[in-house]
Amino acid sequence: MKTTISARELTTPREWVQNVWDGLFTTLAGMRITGRYLLRKPITIQYPDERMPIPDRYRGIHYLEQEKCINCLACARACPIDCIEMDAIRHGKELEWVSFSVDYQKCMFCELCVYPCPKDCIHMGTEFAFVTEDRSELKHDLLSFKGMSRDARVRKKEAEEKKAAKAAAKEAKAAAKEAQAASGDQPKEEGDDG
Amino acid sequence: MATEHKPSITFHPEPRNLPGGEREYMMDVSTSDLEVNMGPQHPATHGVMKILIRTDGELVTAAQPHLGFLHRCAEKIGENVEWLQYLPYTDRYDYLASMNNNLGYSMAVEKLLDVEIPQRAVMLRMICVELNRIASALVAFGTYGLDLGAITPFLYAFREREWLLMIFEKICGARLTYSYLRIGGVFNDAPPGWLEEVSHFCDVFEEKWQEYYDLLMVNHIFVKRTADIGVITKEQALDFGLTGPMLRGSGVDFDLRRDVPYLRYKEAYDAGAWKVPVGSGEKGTVGDCWDRIFVRVQEMMESLSLVRWCLENIEEGPIIGDIAKTLKVPPGEAYVGIENPRGELGHYAVSDGGKVAVRCRVRGPSFCNLAILEDIMPGTLLGDAVAIIGSTDVVIGETDR
Amino acid sequence: MAALPIALNAAQAALEVASSEGGNLTLDLLKQYAPESVPAWILPLTAAAVSVGIVVAVIALLALTSVWLERKVSGHIQCRYGPMYAGGWHGWAQSIADGIKLLMKEDMIPLGADRALFVIAPALVLGAIFGAFVAMPLSPDFFFADLHLGAFFILGMSSLTTIGVVMAGWASNSKWSLYGAMREAAQVVAYEIPLGLSLMVPLIVAGTFNLLDASAGQSDWWGMGWYIFKNPFVLPAGLLFFVSSLAETKRAPFDLPEAESELVAGFLTEYSGIRWSFFFMEEYAAMYLMSLMAAVFFLGGFESPFLHFAKAAELPVIVCNLIAAVTLITKSMIGVIVMMWVRWTLPRVRIDQVMTMGYKYLTPLALLCVLGAALWEAGKVLIFE
Repeated sequence: MKTTISARELTTPREWVQNVWDGLFTTLAGMRITGRYLLRKPITIQYPDERMPIPDRYRGIHYLEQEKCINCLACARACPIDCIEMDAIRHGKELEWVSFSVDYQKCMFCELCVYPCPKDCIHMGTEFAFVTEDRSELKHDLLSFKGMSRDARVRKKEAEEKKAAKAAAKEAKAAAKEAQAASGDQPKEEGDDG
Repeated sequence: MATEHKPSITFHPEPRNLPGGEREYMMDVSTSDLEVNMGPQHPATHGVMKILIRTDGELVTAAQPHLGFLHRCAEKIGENVEWLQYLPYTDRYDYLASMNNNLGYSMAVEKLLDVEIPQRAVMLRMICVELNRIASALVAFGTYGLDLGAITPFLYAFREREWLLMIFEKICGARLTYSYLRIGGVFNDAPPGWLEEVSHFCDVFEEKWQEYYDLLMVNHIFVKRTADIGVITKEQALDFGLTGPMLRGSGVDFDLRRDVPYLRYKEAYDAGAWKVPVGSGEKGTVGDCWDRIFVRVQEMMESLSLVRWCLENIEEGPIIGDIAKTLKVPPGEAYVGIENPRGELGHYAVSDGGKVAVRCRVRGPSFCNLAILEDIMPGTLLGDAVAIIGSTDVVIGETDR
Repeated sequence: MAALPIALNAAQAALEVASSEGGNLTLDLLKQYAPESVPAWILPLTAAAVSVGIVVAVIALLALTSVWLERKVSGHIQCRYGPMYAGGWHGWAQSIADGIKLLMKEDMIPLGADRALFVIAPALVLGAIFGAFVAMPLSPDFFFADLHLGAFFILGMSSLTTIGVVMAGWASNSKWSLYGAMREAAQVVAYEIPLGLSLMVPLIVAGTFNLLDASAGQSDWWGMGWYIFKNPFVLPAGLLFFVSSLAETKRAPFDLPEAESELVAGFLTEYSGIRWSFFFMEEYAAMYLMSLMAAVFFLGGFESPFLHFAKAAELPVIVCNLIAAVTLITKSMIGVIVMMWVRWTLPRVRIDQVMTMGYKYLTPLALLCVLGAALWEAGKVLIFE
């Protein structure tokens, strides 16, 4: 068997002296460097007390601008591991939110969900610590409210009223037409009796 | 590698007659080799790799790497997700050089797409890839010191790496799994002040490099631990298909960036911005551990001058080419090999014109480089075995994928 | 179990003190203030018990301090702070907190281990090193055993720890532990020689094995008559002693028995909790012991200009003793810090290089130093007398 241990070869006196000299000299050179750092102020910081600045582009826990979101599923489709799930009931133009969750057991913070968003409403935040005692809690709901927002409810109500009024008007119109057809040449009577 | 079990003490059947009429019984004490599982949980294997070594005392007589503890089916995933969706997975095989992995995969898909990359994107790619190469070499250097028992150089190396990671964090938001280079360009443009910070880093790093060199590379103990150890000859290196610093450490002047040029490396090389460091056997034989690690340490400086060249030549412009939101890649196949910090990282992609790859194959440099361990480890001491494993600079995420 | 060797050492110390002819500060004080009714044989025993209590406390305190110091030194060398929380000021209570944690840990013995040896080994290691401290004076008038062969006794006791380490490696029933134990045995055998030889050089200059006499021999030149200044061969011998003592105490770059990147943790692989901390304490106590030896035989012992002028001013004996003790501990502390500094700078040497260094480099150099020192002393005698 071929051995590659150099120390088994004989050492000449010249090499012997060279080894002693090199050993001493390079050790002292190394100790000079480490000794210089020994007297310098450390560069680390005391973490929980002081923290490094987190850059704007940091890819942390998502946050959602729920008002803008239109439940188009573009982010969920872009996700390589299908960790985004969303569900909303559509009332005309308004959305009644049921859920919008990111499963952080799976999420690998690749930011691919952010780019395809047509409304630019899902972002990655600067929060990185997300600790729970139970795995199921890692499925994080991004919604700030469930159901509909107050504005949306007002808008929906307005829209419904408008719709109802429209429907009522239509109905009344139809009824009037019918009445007209039934009574022949009698003039139309509007239904405000109060 | 079955051990032969012999009784440890055997008596010779025939006693020997001594002149005085006495009889002497001869006894033979045989020792059997000790089989040791180095790993999967061992500080020197840089991850979950197992090396089954057989030792005669301190002498290693046989060694066999066992792989596959970290297999995550990366290639199969590549055949099941969309082209762009595979990008984050490429981060995860060589997690110390994610930018380079992104680049390799992007270039393979771009070859199929036949799309032109804007010049600014090319330069940003080059800067990021080279900075990542420095970060990777810093880990290689630091952990090599750690393998040999020097703990302080590791922390010095990580100090500079930390800065690099912060630089990456500023441009793409992640510290390790960047997913920054994308098919057709890059995801984000450099934020304001970023290029200046990179330039500042280059200036500071030069001094620190000298410190690494003085503290560890020329230290007599370090030299004696690595010179003439684990020698890979030129022929062996070529036979085993080694690439990257392993190959250059053995004295073969081959670098994909120069010899199979991509991006603007050739232009930079012709402008004299960088050289290809090759092992010269300065402290021992050509192709020993010292040469391999010194090639990596020199590559840091070459990458640094490449970054400087890029900073001089970068210009304003778009950062992404004409790429559809949902990629449909024309049918065909493409292989692109790039120079990863550990060697040739090849991506082979086959498309049938759909949204998902038909075949996505990765040639991992660590995997190919690891095969030589079985040949160079026998005949060394246990301490050398650690030095040799360290000098291959494997990333287990990449060998197993 | 750990109490047994300590008790044995205490008994031995008691015997030594009882047989010595006074001079021990504790014994003197007791003799002075004890009532007449107390039987005479109780006094030496009480003095011994008090002395052993003090020395165990002092060593434990020094070990705890130096663990903290090591972490601070390594931290600052590596551009970080080291412990900062426990106790408030720069994490001074970190070692105490660690000790409590180690005490609370589960006492684990591997299934295939040799239980008896596994349990005895840490106690033996710690007991041996405490035993070595018996011959180490803390100040000119405060000591436990004024042995005529003190230096010899200390070297002998400190190499007893090797047996404990080999025992631990064998009893653990782990291949890594076995490697560590074998390395320790080979290494200590190789380094006993240069260690002893390099210590021979100041012994030749001092002309005594007794630590007190050796220290007192350096009191001339206003307390600066240290042996390294008295003979040109003592300084290189001191360097050799330092290197050999690194190997003897298993400190980096000679930490091959542990070699955390090669042998996982060497002979400590299977140990945890308080048993592990016994080995740890032993390492630091041995560092102190070697530094104290170096301080006594190379760096002037108790002697310094402070002690010289204190004596000249005829300050009370207790003050002089205090100054002497502080001087000695400061000198040894410097040695310990340099040991740490070296540890955090150098990579580890390989096992065959350890052997080569011991046999081919340190031993011949130490022999040269011994020869040179002897010739120098003989020449001095021939020329001046």
